[in-house]
Amino acid sequence: MSQSVLSQNDSIKNNLDEIIITATKTKRILSSIPLNASIIKKEEIERTSATRLTDVINEELGLMTVSDFGGGEGIQIQGLDSEYTLVLIDNQPLIGRSAGTLDLNRISVGNIKQIEIVRGASSSLYGNEALAGVINIITEEPANGFNADISSSYETHNTIDNNFSLGYKSQKFTSSLFVNTFSSDGYDLDETDELNTVNEFKNITTQLKLGYDLNDNLTISINSRYYNQIIDNIASITLSGKTNITENNINLKMNHKTKKFNTDLEIYFNSFYGDEFLDDQNGIRFSESFYDQTLIKPEIKSIYEISDKNNIIVGIGNRHESLDRTYFDIKPKQNSPFIYFQYDYRPLEKINLLFGGRYDKFDEYKSQISPKFSGIFELDDNNLVKFSTGYGFKAPDFRQLYFNFSNSTIGYSVIGYNVVNDVMSQLIDEGQIVNIVVPLEEFDNSLSPESSFSVNIGFETSFLKNFKFSGNFFNNSTRNLIDYRVIANKTNGQNVFSYYNINEVSTYGVEIETKYKPNNNFKISLGYQLLYAYDLDARKAFDNGEVFARLTPVSPAFRLKKSDYFGLYNRSRHMAIFKINYNNLENKFNSSLRLRYRSKYGLYDSNSNNYLDKYDEFVNGYFTANVSLNKLINQSISLSAGIENIFNYFDRQNISNLSGRIYFLRAKYNLK
Amino acid sequence: MKTIKFFTISFILLFTFSCEDDNNIGIDTISITVEDLHAPLEGGQGSPVGASGPFTKFNFENGIQTDSETNWDIAFRGTSIIVNGGESMGTEGEPERNGDGAAYIFEGTMNEMEIVEISLLTEDSQNSYAIPTGSGNGWYTYSGPPNHIISPTPGKILVFRTHDNKYAKVEILSYYLGAPENPDAFTDQSRYYTFNYVYQPNEGATTFD
Repeated sequence: MSQSVLSQNDSIKNNLDEIIITATKTKRILSSIPLNASIIKKEEIERTSATRLTDVINEELGLMTVSDFGGGEGIQIQGLDSEYTLVLIDNQPLIGRSAGTLDLNRISVGNIKQIEIVRGASSSLYGNEALAGVINIITEEPANGFNADISSSYETHNTIDNNFSLGYKSQKFTSSLFVNTFSSDGYDLDETDELNTVNEFKNITTQLKLGYDLNDNLTISINSRYYNQIIDNIASITLSGKTNITENNINLKMNHKTKKFNTDLEIYFNSFYGDEFLDDQNGIRFSESFYDQTLIKPEIKSIYEISDKNNIIVGIGNRHESLDRTYFDIKPKQNSPFIYFQYDYRPLEKINLLFGGRYDKFDEYKSQISPKFSGIFELDDNNLVKFSTGYGFKAPDFRQLYFNFSNSTIGYSVIGYNVVNDVMSQLIDEGQIVNIVVPLEEFDNSLSPESSFSVNIGFETSFLKNFKFSGNFFNNSTRNLIDYRVIANKTNGQNVFSYYNINEVSTYGVEIETKYKPNNNFKISLGYQLLYAYDLDARKAFDNGEVFARLTPVSPAFRLKKSDYFGLYNRSRHMAIFKINYNNLENKFNSSLRLRYRSKYGLYDSNSNNYLDKYDEFVNGYFTANVSLNKLINQSISLSAGIENIFNYFDRQNISNLSGRIYFLRAKYNLK
Repeated sequence: MKTIKFFTISFILLFTFSCEDDNNIGIDTISITVEDLHAPLEGGQGSPVGASGPFTKFNFENGIQTDSETNWDIAFRGTSIIVNGGESMGTEGEPERNGDGAAYIFEGTMNEMEIVEISLLTEDSQNSYAIPTGSGNGWYTYSGPPNHIISPTPGKILVFRTHDNKYAKVEILSYYLGAPENPDAFTDQSRYYTFNYVYQPNEGATTFD
């Protein structure tokens, strides 16, 4: 990909090498783009000895991973749920959200060049899922000649992470191979029951990249990735089995570059297959299920450099998705063609504006137009302000449309929106329905995509040469969130559920970050996020005095005030991250200490009024601290050691992804 | 105010006297806390259909459980509450309705429930009970896994017309034996109602002052 002319004109401050692609689909210097974006670089990841993407995300301001029921860990950005962040590897989307969350533990960081994060709705370039933001994992390109490295780390819980990479680059040809294996015995926070908090697992990731320059203008490349994980599935003393996930993706790309045009023609294939089973003590199959999703996405994108003041990007493509899974009566398929453009304009040297938009066509629900407008103003060499506004959406997933599931032990049913009429008439024929709560005609209209309009307004200022201060205000107004409700009562006393558009959610707050570099050895940063996250209907209910609570579970109820509403579940009002890096070049030694705080939050309604209010039980606020030490022994060998969660904080009831204190050792060998 | 305790049938009567209101000529309203009224159930949980076994019948005027076929106002079986008015759903063990009973749910606190809205009262029918069944529909919320707790939804006041055309308001406080502060669905015995109620003994009076 070419360096955009614009980026060459970017005013140069301290981070010339911080190039970000995700924000504009062109190479731009991070500090010059008019969006709320950040980069986590390889050096930083190596310094912390992180092994999975979750480790990295949790040390980034305003981001945090949250666990879902299935144990997957998704990302929360600016208070929006994990379903709403698009995750890319080398600019291409990952799939496999079997229960909504895309498990970030699937992603090894062993061969990562950098992680790019864009906060705020970004569907104008990326379409579906980019409602809260985009995370793009850019993998490494080999350096000239042969290069190889191998590393291994060992952690508490018998967690072993091995990496091997091999690269070759000549004038015309580049190739790289990466293999990662990751395994663990898991852990158990609650010894009183028979189940483990995290079961034993092992996984493997391989990535092969090949590129060849056919001539000065034309490059072809292949990027393929394979992932497989097997994890023990233990449901009770008597029921156990395995869960297996396999992911295959391959991207074929042709790049044509002239002085004015830079065009990519790509076709991307992605398949995600998961299955699981449970056997009883006698080895008899108790349950099994599978999930088989594919995505094929051809896309052509062209950047046209009109002048050194402006450029334009146009892209066009199609997403073909299909899903076959247990509890579906049909095998849904969907084609959604899309087209997008972006105009990048620099009317004055210190002003840059971005306009863009994208159209995604859907058959099963409303087609989407996603506009964007943002700008940056460099007031002088040390001060800048920027704003970005944009639209983001998440289309209803196949589960919300086509699910047909009846729980075998309890007896409730969940039906996808588009199959309500079919499945309900079947249930009525079978005499299973006693009462219809929501008239079936209501399902004649289509379900709307969830959508969000986001605003970010930020500034950056640096003074005293070594002190940098930045702040950002954000607001996300989210509409048409999809929830489920009871649509009918069954004769067995249970309910039939289906999905519907209801909630409007508002999340807003402030991010502040201070970076200080007192001398060449130390780097200190402090970040803070203030977050308010409300369901607007809930706030209205409090406002209208429709919500009640009891002081103790058996005392008479009283009416709650508006100020008693706490907000959405699993949102902390305050979050802070403090980091110190120490780097001693003479002794080839560096170390880093990270301290993270998350204030109290509620996970569920504990006082039976269906809302999170201040009389509910909360998960206590907590600190975690991680430290790592790295030493370069000679040209090719480096050793690392450290402790994660030094304070040994855990909450067996509420925080399943915090296992207590972890020690680790890591060795890396570099061949050149 | 005087308090009488009948430990054998496990409830407390609290007679309160508030004579200032001219609206209530005659006898004063009665405020009572009933503790651990046992409402066993056989068969299907959470729904009238498939459930069986006798209902635990209750009379507001006397403040006691009763076996009378006619002289009862409301009756409990598991989480289901029926009134002595309207028609039976016909489940096994369900008593015949022979009174004027009816009910509705008032959203608010016990004190805020001042006047009975006659138009809101409904009787039991062949298809449904006046107090709807199911979590979130009537008087309780079921927490689901992992705790499986049934808690009385705060702000739900059950308003009843008795079998003999008088009124009562009820706030259910607990579904577990001994009304524990933090019930455990696995160790605490369920289907034991603890509730407060106020009974208006005067014919035709629709207030509770």
